[in-house]
Amino acid sequence: MKKEEVFEKFESKPENILLILHEIQDLNPNKYLTEEDLKRVSEKLNLPYSFVYGVASFYTMFSLKPRGKYIIRVCESPPCHLVGSLNILNELKKILKIDIGQTTKDNLFTLEITSCLGVCGVAPAMMINEDVYGNLTVEKIKEIIDEKRRGK
Amino acid sequence: MPKRLDVIICGGTNCSSSHSIEIKEKIEKELEKRGLKGEINLVVSGCMGLCQLGPNMVVYPDEIHYIRLKEDDVSELVETHFLKGRVVKRLQWTPPNVEKFYKKQHKIITANCGKIDPENIEEYIAVGGYEALAKVLTEMTPEMVIDEVIKSGLIGRGGAGFPTGLKWKFTRESKGDEKYVVCNADEGDPGAFKDRAILEGDPHCVIEAMEIAGYVIGAQTGYIYVRAEYPLAIKRLTIALEQARKYGLLGKNIFGTDFNFDIELRMGAGAFVAGEETALISSIEGERGMPKQKPPYPAQKGVWGKPTLINNVETLANIRHIILNGGATYGAMGTENSKGTKLFCLTGKVKNTGLIEIPFGLTIGEIVFDIGDGIPNDKKFKAIQMGGPSGGYITCEYLNTPIDYKEIEKLGAIIGSAGMIVLDENNCMVDMAKFFVDFTLTESCGQCTPCRVGLIRMKEILNRITKGYGKLEDLDELERLAKTIKLTSLCALGGTAPNPVLTGLKYFKDEFIEHIVDKKCRAGVCASLFYAPCVNACPSEVDVSRYLAYMGDGKLKEAYLVHMENNPFPSVCARVCPAFCEGPCERGKFDEPIAIREVKRLFSDWANEVNYQFSPPENPKNEKVAIIGSGPAGLSCAFYLTRLGYKPTVFESLPFPGGMMMYGIPDYRLPKDTLKKEIDRIINSGVELVLNNEIKSINELRNKGFDAVFVAVGAHESIKMGVLGEDLEGIMGGVEFLKEITTNKNFDVKGKRVVVVGGGSTAMDAARVALRLGAKDVKVVYRRSKDEMPAQKIEVTEAEEEGIEFLFLTNPTEFIGEKKVEKIKCIRMEFKGFDKGGRRRPVPVEGSEFEIDADLVLLCLGQKPKVSKFSDELEINKDGTIKVDPKTLKTSLDYVFAGGDAVLGPSTVIESVAQGRKAAVEIDKYFGYEGEFNFSLREVVDTHYDEEKYLKPISRKTPKVVEIEERIKSFIEVNKGLTLEEAIEEARRCLKCDKGKEVYKKNIKELEKTLNKVI
Repeated sequence: MKKEEVFEKFESKPENILLILHEIQDLNPNKYLTEEDLKRVSEKLNLPYSFVYGVASFYTMFSLKPRGKYIIRVCESPPCHLVGSLNILNELKKILKIDIGQTTKDNLFTLEITSCLGVCGVAPAMMINEDVYGNLTVEKIKEIIDEKRRGK
Repeated sequence: MPKRLDVIICGGTNCSSSHSIEIKEKIEKELEKRGLKGEINLVVSGCMGLCQLGPNMVVYPDEIHYIRLKEDDVSELVETHFLKGRVVKRLQWTPPNVEKFYKKQHKIITANCGKIDPENIEEYIAVGGYEALAKVLTEMTPEMVIDEVIKSGLIGRGGAGFPTGLKWKFTRESKGDEKYVVCNADEGDPGAFKDRAILEGDPHCVIEAMEIAGYVIGAQTGYIYVRAEYPLAIKRLTIALEQARKYGLLGKNIFGTDFNFDIELRMGAGAFVAGEETALISSIEGERGMPKQKPPYPAQKGVWGKPTLINNVETLANIRHIILNGGATYGAMGTENSKGTKLFCLTGKVKNTGLIEIPFGLTIGEIVFDIGDGIPNDKKFKAIQMGGPSGGYITCEYLNTPIDYKEIEKLGAIIGSAGMIVLDENNCMVDMAKFFVDFTLTESCGQCTPCRVGLIRMKEILNRITKGYGKLEDLDELERLAKTIKLTSLCALGGTAPNPVLTGLKYFKDEFIEHIVDKKCRAGVCASLFYAPCVNACPSEVDVSRYLAYMGDGKLKEAYLVHMENNPFPSVCARVCPAFCEGPCERGKFDEPIAIREVKRLFSDWANEVNYQFSPPENPKNEKVAIIGSGPAGLSCAFYLTRLGYKPTVFESLPFPGGMMMYGIPDYRLPKDTLKKEIDRIINSGVELVLNNEIKSINELRNKGFDAVFVAVGAHESIKMGVLGEDLEGIMGGVEFLKEITTNKNFDVKGKRVVVVGGGSTAMDAARVALRLGAKDVKVVYRRSKDEMPAQKIEVTEAEEEGIEFLFLTNPTEFIGEKKVEKIKCIRMEFKGFDKGGRRRPVPVEGSEFEIDADLVLLCLGQKPKVSKFSDELEINKDGTIKVDPKTLKTSLDYVFAGGDAVLGPSTVIESVAQGRKAAVEIDKYFGYEGEFNFSLREVVDTHYDEEKYLKPISRKTPKVVEIEERIKSFIEVNKGLTLEEAIEEARRCLKCDKGKEVYKKNIKELEKTLNKVI
C-alpha cells in the first residue's frame, strides 16, 4: 500500500488522524513520521500543521525520527519490574550497544520502553513490532536478538 | 458429526507469546498426517487465566489440563493421548492443582474465554450469544432494561466505581439528537489485563452489550477505543465486528426491528492518560488525549459535545448475564455493597499468576494463598498492591478482608482496574513508591503544575532516599507534596498519583526511615545502599561476596579472615545458620542460589585444622568490661572487644561455655569438638572466662570495678502451654531436655513413647535426639501444617527420613495420667482465615478429640529469657525480654548493654552474633573512643579463574549425608560437607554482584595484621 492509498482508505475527517498516522508510520521502512507526512496529513484533513505535530508528538507510539526495522519495547510496569525487567533492559542495551530511544547503526533495532503491555502473567515481557515475548531471561534475549539478526 | 475430542488451546497474548499458535499449527499437521482430522476438534480460544504456566491446553470431555507445552511435545501428545487415549502425565497439570486454582473462582463473564473460538461468531451464538440483544429488542423497553441493570447493583468496573444502571439512566434522560456509546478498552494500568482477556477471548459479548446500551440510551453509533498495544484484541474485534455485520446482528434493522446500530474501532497510540474518560473523548475526536474539566460529564456532553455513555469492557461483559438471568439473580451474588463477580489480574510474587474471576466477598488471603497457591521460593508475603498507580497496599494484617469496594477503600487501596500485584520480602517499598511516581510522572499530560512539577519533586526526594542521601524531613515534605497534588490536580491521574507513596508511608514508614537513618534497604533492592544482596541480608553483614571470591581461587585463609571481620563463628554458622544470605542470591534467579553455607564450612574447618589463633591486645585499654553469658552474643561481643583493645571477662553460670550452641544444638548437627575449637579461639584472643558463676545482680559487677556490662543471658526457659495436667511427671521443656541429656548421661529415654509438641528447630532437635537415645517411637504434634513449620526445611526432611511421625493440624488439650503422664488428649485443627502475621490461623474442629499414648512429652513452644533477677535494676518488656534502645543496645542503665536472645527472644546464632558485635562497638563508643575496627575496610578481590566459564547453568552442589540407618543409632554429624574441589567450584558460581561498586582498596596482608595487631 502506498501513502496515498491510506488517505483513500479513511475518510478525510479529523477524527481519523490517529488511524492515518498509524498506517503511514507503518509504511515507512524506518517506522517514523516525516515532516512531509505531517504536512500531507494536515492538508488532507484540513488541520493546522501545528495541530498535527501536536498530536504526533503527544502519543508515545509515534516517532518523529527514523527507527530500526525491529522496534523493541520493553515493558516497564511493576509486575515486570518486580521480576527483573531492569536486567532485561540492561542486557538489551549491552547486546545492541544502544541506549533507550536509540537505533542501532545497521538500522535493525530501536530500543524503547513502554507502559504495561498487559501480559503480566508472563512477566518480564517485551514487544518486537507486534509480537509479544514473555518470561524473558538474559539467555532468551540473546536468542531472540540473534534470530532477528539472522533475519528470521 | 460430533468429534471424539475437543482440544482447546489458549490463544491469548500471554500464551501466544510462548508460541501457542505455532503449537496449534503443528498439531494440525500431525493430525492430518495420522488421518485424525475428522475425529478431533481443534480450537484456539481466548485466555484461560493461567498465564504463568502457558501455553495451556484443555482436552475435553475429560478436561485434561496441559501446561507449558512446547512444539517438541506435539507428536507425543497426538500419538499418546489423541490416538491411544492415554494422558501424557509429564505435561499434565495435576488435578489437585487444577482444583486449587479453579475451586474458589466463579466464572460468569469469562465463562466463554478459554472455551469458544473467539474468531467464530457461530460458537458464540451456540452458547446463547445475542439472545440478550434479541430479548431486549423484542420484549423490553429501555426503562425495563435500566430497571434490571439498577436492580443488579452492577458498579462500573473501570476504576471509578459509578453505578452502571444510573449512568445509563442519566445518559438516556440527557437531551440530544445524537448520542454515542463508547467502550473504554484503553486498559493501561500497570498490572491490569482483564479487558484484554475479554476482548481476545469473547469479543462478541462486548459488542452485544454495546448494542443493548445503544438501544437503551437512544444511540446509533458506538466506538470501541482500544489501545494499540493490544494488536490481538484489535484483530479479534475487527473480525467480530465484520461477522456480526454479516449475520445482521450489527448495522441496520437488527433482528428485523427498526433499531440501527454500528460500531467503529478507534485505536490509541500509547498514552496512559487517554484512559481517563474526558481524555479518551478528546482522543476519539482526533486530538491530543488530555483530560478536561468535569462537569459537564460525558453523559451530558461527550463525543462531539453529544451525550455519551462510556463503559469499561468488563462492565459491558456483565450485561448479557443481567438481561438473561434478571437483575435480581445477579444482585444475589456478592456482598451488600458489591454485587456479582469480579475479574482480577493476579501478578507478581505468587505461584499461579493469571486472570481470575471471583465472587465479591472472597478474602484477599484466599486469593493469594488458595487460588494463587502462595508465594514462590518459600518467601514471605509482604503486601499486595491493588489498583495500580492510583491504588495502595494491603498488608498481611488484613488478609481476612473481603473483596468489596468499601472494605478495600477503607484500607487505603482501591479495586480500580483490578491489578493485584503480590509483593514478597525481597520487594522494597521505597523502590515501589519511586517506581509508581516515575510511572505517573512519565504519563502525566502536563496540563496541571502540581502533577507535572510536584511529581518531579517527589521523585527527586525518593531518589535521594534510595541512594542513601535522604533526610527525615523528606518524609514530611513527601506527604505535603502528595496532599497538594491530590487536591489540586484536574483529573484522576494526578489526583491519585501520590497514593502509592501515601499508603507506602502509612504501612511501611519504618522501611523509609531505615533507608534514611541506617542507610539500609532490607529487601536488597536499592543497590546504592549495599555491596551485594547476600551481604545485605546477613544480620551481621558478613562479606559473603568477598570470601566467595577468595574461595574461587582456593584461598582458604583469606576467605576465613574476611569472615572473622563480622562473625567469629564460621564453623557453627556453616552448620546451623538458616542462611539468610542464600535467599536473595542473584544466582537463584539464573539457576540456583550458591550453597554459601557449605562453602563456608571448608574454610572454617581449615582454620580449626591448622589451629589458627588471634593474638590478644598487647597494650590493652584500661576500661574493664564484664559480659554475662557465653552464648553467641556474649562471646562475639568478647571477641570484638579484644579486637578493639579490651580484655573482657565473661561470666557463665553453667559448667561449659557456648550457651545454646553447647546445650541446645545436638552433636549430629554441630559436633561439640568443632564448637569447642571456635570458642577456645575466642578465649585465647584475650578473654577471661569464669565458669559456674551465676551473676545475680549487675551492681555486684559494678562493685567489682567493671566499667561496662553486656547482658547476654539468652532465653533458656521453655514457654508453657497452659493446659490441664501440664505439671505431671514426664512432661518437660524441649530446651531443658536437650540441656539435661548434654550434662546427664544417665537420662533414660530407652523404650519410651515420646511426643514432641511444636514445629521449630528445638522441636526437631528434641525429637531426633530422643530417637537416637532409643525411644520406642517419636511423634511430633504441631497445630499448623508442614508448610508453616518454623524449623529449617532440611531438618524436617531429615526427621521424616529418620522415621519420626508428624501429626499436623493437631493440638494437645489435656495431659492425662495419675502421677506420670500416660496419654495426651488432642484435638484436630483446621485453617480459618489468617492471623496478623500473615500465617493461616488454626482453629479447633469441634468434637474431633482423640488420645495418644505418651511416656515423655517435650514442649517446644518457644523460650523466654530468665531475667527476673535483674528486674530491680533493668527495665523488662512485657514479653520478658530486656528493654534496650535498638540503635545502641543500651538498657535503662547507661553503662549496661544487652543483646542476643535475652533481647530478641529465641532467635538464630547469626542474629545474636550481630548484636554481640554491635554491643562491642557501642561499648567502645561509650568509653569515648571511635568504635571502629581498623580492619573493616573493603578491598577489590581480583580472581584468577575464567569467570565466563561459570556463566552457564550449573546446578548447586549438595553435600553427602550419612545413611539413615547409621545416623539414627549415633550422634554422628549427618552432613558430610563438600570436598574442597566442590566448594571451590561452587564459589565460582558467584555472579559477583559487588562488582563495580565503590570499594576501598586494602590488601589482605594488612587485614591479617590489623585483625591481629590490636592498638
